[in-house]
Amino acid sequence: MDLTSTPKTPTTKRWRVINRTVWLISLSVVFVIFIWEVAIRLGNFPSFILPSPQQVWSRLLQVLADGSLLRHITYTLGEVVAGLAIGIITATVLGYLLAKSPAVERLLSPYIVASQSVPIVAIAPLLVIWFGSGLLSKVLISALIVFFPVLVNTMVGLRSVPEDLHDLMRSLLATRWQTLTMLEMPSALPVFLGGLRIGATLAVIGAVVGEFVGADRGLGFLINRARGQYDTALVFVAVITLVLLALSLYGSVLMLEKRLLAWQRPIESSHR
Amino acid sequence: MPNTRSMKLFALIIPFFITSCALAPSTRTVTTSPPELTNIRLPMGYIPSVQYAPFYVAMEKGYFKEAGLDVEFDYSFETDGVSLVAANELQFAVVSGEQVPLARAQGLPVVYVLSWWKDYPVAVTAFENENIRQPADLAGKKIGIPGLFGASYVGLIALLNAGGLQEKDIILDSIGFNQVEALVAGQEQAIVVYANNEPIQLEAKGYAIDTLRVADYVQLASNGLITNEATIANNPDLVRRMVQATLKGISDTLNNPDEAFEICKKYVEGLSSADQVVQRQILDTSIEFWKTDQLGYSDPAAWENMQQVLLDMGLLAQPIELNKAFTNDFVTPK
Repeated sequence: MDLTSTPKTPTTKRWRVINRTVWLISLSVVFVIFIWEVAIRLGNFPSFILPSPQQVWSRLLQVLADGSLLRHITYTLGEVVAGLAIGIITATVLGYLLAKSPAVERLLSPYIVASQSVPIVAIAPLLVIWFGSGLLSKVLISALIVFFPVLVNTMVGLRSVPEDLHDLMRSLLATRWQTLTMLEMPSALPVFLGGLRIGATLAVIGAVVGEFVGADRGLGFLINRARGQYDTALVFVAVITLVLLALSLYGSVLMLEKRLLAWQRPIESSHR
Repeated sequence: MPNTRSMKLFALIIPFFITSCALAPSTRTVTTSPPELTNIRLPMGYIPSVQYAPFYVAMEKGYFKEAGLDVEFDYSFETDGVSLVAANELQFAVVSGEQVPLARAQGLPVVYVLSWWKDYPVAVTAFENENIRQPADLAGKKIGIPGLFGASYVGLIALLNAGGLQEKDIILDSIGFNQVEALVAGQEQAIVVYANNEPIQLEAKGYAIDTLRVADYVQLASNGLITNEATIANNPDLVRRMVQATLKGISDTLNNPDEAFEICKKYVEGLSSADQVVQRQILDTSIEFWKTDQLGYSDPAAWENMQQVLLDMGLLAQPIELNKAFTNDFVTPK
C-alpha cells in the first residue's frame, strides 16, 4: 500500500469521469469521421452526394468567417428558446390542472391526444398563414412540439407522489402552496425533467420545420438554400450545427437535472 | 409548375440517408426490363398536374414504349432529381432552367437536352388596387415568395432587374407555398407565382388582379429535360429516343388540348372531380408557354440571360461553360 498517495477525493474522481467521457466522445467522433471517409473512398461518391469531412470542415470555416453561420444559429436558437419557454409554461400549468382534476382531464385529454396525431409539418403552413412568416409562427410551432412530452411528464410526475406523503402533509396542516412546493414539485421533478430533455431536442425540430415552411434566416433556411444551390457540404454544416444545438440543449437540461436533483444522490464519503 | 418544393422536413434526414447508402451495397434504380424496354424513372419536380400533359400524352399514346422506354413518373423534389441524374443513378429529370447552371457550378455533370417551356413561367401577381402594372411599380412593395431559392426567386430578381430595381428596393417576405392565402389575407401586397396556376385560381375566385410575367421582360432558359454527361457519351441513342418521344407528347398536346386534358384525368388523381373550367384554363395557359417555332430547341440567348441573372444574384460565383450546360443535338430526329 502506498502511504504517500493522496486520498481520492470526490473532486478528483469527478475529473477522472469527465476526462474519460471526453476521451470516449473524441474517440467516437474520430471513428465516425473514419467511417465517413472510408465510405467515400469505397463508394467513390461525388461531393454533391457525399462531401468529404475535409470539404465540410472547410465550408464550416467559410461560413464561420463570413459570420453567416452565427447569424443563422442565433436566429434559430432564439426561436428554440422562446418556443421552449412557451411550451414548458403552458404544458406545466395545464399538466398540473389535469393531474389535479379528473374532470378537466376527461374534458381535455381527447383533444390533447388528438392534437398529437396531427403531424406538425401539416399544420406548420397554416400557422405561417395565421401568424405571419416572422418569428412568432416558428416560436409557436416549436412550442407546440414541446408541449405534449412536458405535459405528460408533468402529469405523471405529479401523480407519482405517494399518497402517504400527501397524508403526512395534511396531518401537518400544510397549505396547498406548501404541498406543491415542498412535496409535489420535488417529487415530480425527476419525471418532469425527463420530459424537458425530450422537449429540448424536439424544440429544435419545431423551429426548423417552421423555417422550412417559410423563412429568410435560420438553420432550416440555410439547409433549404444550400440544397437549392447543390451545396451539399453546406447542408452537412447546417445539419451538424443543428445536432450540436440539440445536444447542447439536452446537455443543459442534464446539468440542470444534476443540480436540481443533487438531493437524490447518496451522500458520498470522502474516505472509502 | 415544377419547382423547388423544398419546404419539407426530408432535407434533415437526407445526409444521414446518403451516409447509410454509402455503407450499403450499391443498387441501381435504373434496370433494363425484359425484353427490350429500358426502365426510366422520371423525376417531375412537382405533384401530378395537368401541366405535365405532354408526358401523360406520350405515355398514353405509347410514344415512350415505341421508343423502347418504360417510363415511370416520380413526383419527388426537383433538386433530388437533379442530384440523382448527376450521380447517374437516373438518366433523366424534368427541371427548371436555372437548376442547370446552379448544379454545374457545383460540379454536377447535368446537361439540358430538351427545352419544353419556351417562356419562363414565373410571374408576380397583385390585386388591381395595388397599381402594379410594370416591374418598376414593385418598388417598396411587400412581396411574398415561397423561398429565397429556385425559379420563383430567380424570376423575381430578373423582373426587378427589368424594372431597374434591386432586391433591397422591395420588402421580400419568405412565406412558403402559401402565396394565394397570404395575398387574400392582406399579408402581402404582391406574390410570386407561376403564371399558369395561381393567377387563374385567383381570377376564378372572383379577384381582380394584375400579373407581371417575367417572360414579357426577359427570356430565360425555362423548364425542360436534363440528362448527364455519361449518358450522352455512352448512350446517346437513349437520349435521342427519350427526347423524341417527349417532343411527340408536346406536339400532340399543342395540337389537341381536348384530348390531352382527357388523358390527364387518368394520371392526375382528383382531376375529374376538380373544377374542370379552372383546370382546363391552367392547361390552356401552360400551352401558351410551350408554343414555339422549334419545339425542344434551346435558345442560347436565354441561357446567357439566365447565367447573367444568377451572377447578378451572387448565386453563381463565376460564369460556367454554357456550351456544356445545354445541347440541341437530340432535338432533331436522326
